[in-house]
Amino acid sequence: MTLAIETNALEYSIGRDFRVAGLDMHVPTGSVYGFLGPNGAGKTTTIRLLLGLLRPAGGRIMVLGSPMPEQYKSVLARTGYVPERPHVYPSLTVAEALMLHRAFHPTWDDVWAEELRRQFTLAPDRRVGALSKGESGKLLMLLALAQRPELLVLDEPTDGLDPVVRRDILASVLQYVTDRQATVLISSHLVHELERICDWVGLMDAGRLIAELPMQEFKSGLKRLRVVAAPDSLAGVPFTVLARERNPGSVEQWLVRGWAPGMHEYITSVGASVREVIDLDLEEGFVEMLRSSRDRVR
Amino acid sequence: MFRAILVTQWKWTRTTALLATVAAFSIPVASLQSARDADTPLEFISRMQAWGIGYALLAAGVGLLVALAAWGHDHQGRHVYALSLPVSRQRYALLRYGAGATYLVPAIIAVLIGSLVVIATGAIPQGLHAFPIALTLRFGLAALVAYSVFFAIGAGTTRTAAAVLALIAVVLFAQFVISASGVQFDLLRYVADGLFGTGGVLSVFSGRWMLVDV
Repeated sequence: MTLAIETNALEYSIGRDFRVAGLDMHVPTGSVYGFLGPNGAGKTTTIRLLLGLLRPAGGRIMVLGSPMPEQYKSVLARTGYVPERPHVYPSLTVAEALMLHRAFHPTWDDVWAEELRRQFTLAPDRRVGALSKGESGKLLMLLALAQRPELLVLDEPTDGLDPVVRRDILASVLQYVTDRQATVLISSHLVHELERICDWVGLMDAGRLIAELPMQEFKSGLKRLRVVAAPDSLAGVPFTVLARERNPGSVEQWLVRGWAPGMHEYITSVGASVREVIDLDLEEGFVEMLRSSRDRVR
Repeated sequence: MFRAILVTQWKWTRTTALLATVAAFSIPVASLQSARDADTPLEFISRMQAWGIGYALLAAGVGLLVALAAWGHDHQGRHVYALSLPVSRQRYALLRYGAGATYLVPAIIAVLIGSLVVIATGAIPQGLHAFPIALTLRFGLAALVAYSVFFAIGAGTTRTAAAVLALIAVVLFAQFVISASGVQFDLLRYVADGLFGTGGVLSVFSGRWMLVDV
């Protein structure tokens, strides 16, 4: 598996209150990688480190096979970036913003840019500062896509947008990925949104990557078990127990990761039984993983 | 690339550039108007000279405003757009610098045209000489120096700006301490001489700014 993005022991701190600590991140080439985390988890900081907008205090970053921030010029030429907040100069018109961006990106596709502009119904003479939030989001996506990048880095691209615009933007990303086999790193705290489009997921909290795994594995292995006559000790369990609601003598609830059907045998071997196995959706899994990670830290 | 930067920067600089151009044309013409009815060549020179400070102020002002316009929008966006472009930071700064410097040119040309208009009226008393090229070059150099200084400060972070202000504060405080302790040493004059005296970074602003002289 080749990696479009790889970090090893990445370190960065902002004052005393926040730091990215020992971040090991692996984004497979051609994947749509959902970068999940609550607000303030460090997603935007990590993205800025990946793109050379910030200089790390330690560790190693490789993006598209090149070390960052040393090779930022060649990496940024192959990367489309949609930042958390609109970054295009508000006094420019849409046409001027396109002209400026085009001048810096040799792989810019005029025909497709025009096609996207029409599709997103962005009038060329509208001032960027006068665009609505949705239109602004579309413009940023247009700028990122029309440069035909190998890697798309989208930082909360649909945050605060209405469902129609969200769908338009995500549809254009998926269309692009299908056509070009590009890699996408998309950060969000809107878990349901990523569930439909991502094939890998990384969970970040308080500057640490607490999990990184294929979406399928994340979704299928996360279960809520209702266990009868549960043992006190969980030594030797073949799965990870993320959370356990103790209820001696009655039915206990376990939140587990890495569950497979054959593991019923383990439960019966310790004198317990599983009354029910409940699938968790991504959001429930996300919340439980955060909770258990925070419990471990405490 | 430069053209694109030039076009976008025009939007932020055009008002300053147009007003500076009008002012740059007006100063030589207005100085002639004020000196036209002078009784003696000496009085003519004296009245013309009274307008000399106008060139220095205009050069400093246009340099400041064009430099502010060059970085203002990047500062507003916390430089995220500029930093995400696939171009070296040095080259980007040079592009911005070059585009801003280009918009100093209309004002510089306006000084030359204004000076040539003054000469063409034939109102300069006999025995006096006009120096339109020298005045224009000096104005151009002063505007470029002012622009470069403010551009460099503007290119820095808030920390850089704070360091510059802190340095000024230290000099003022040192002067206060020196004066209070009764030592006969004028630090401010020493600093001013260093900056504006011969060989100083800002020496182009000091001295006589004369279109007409003996």
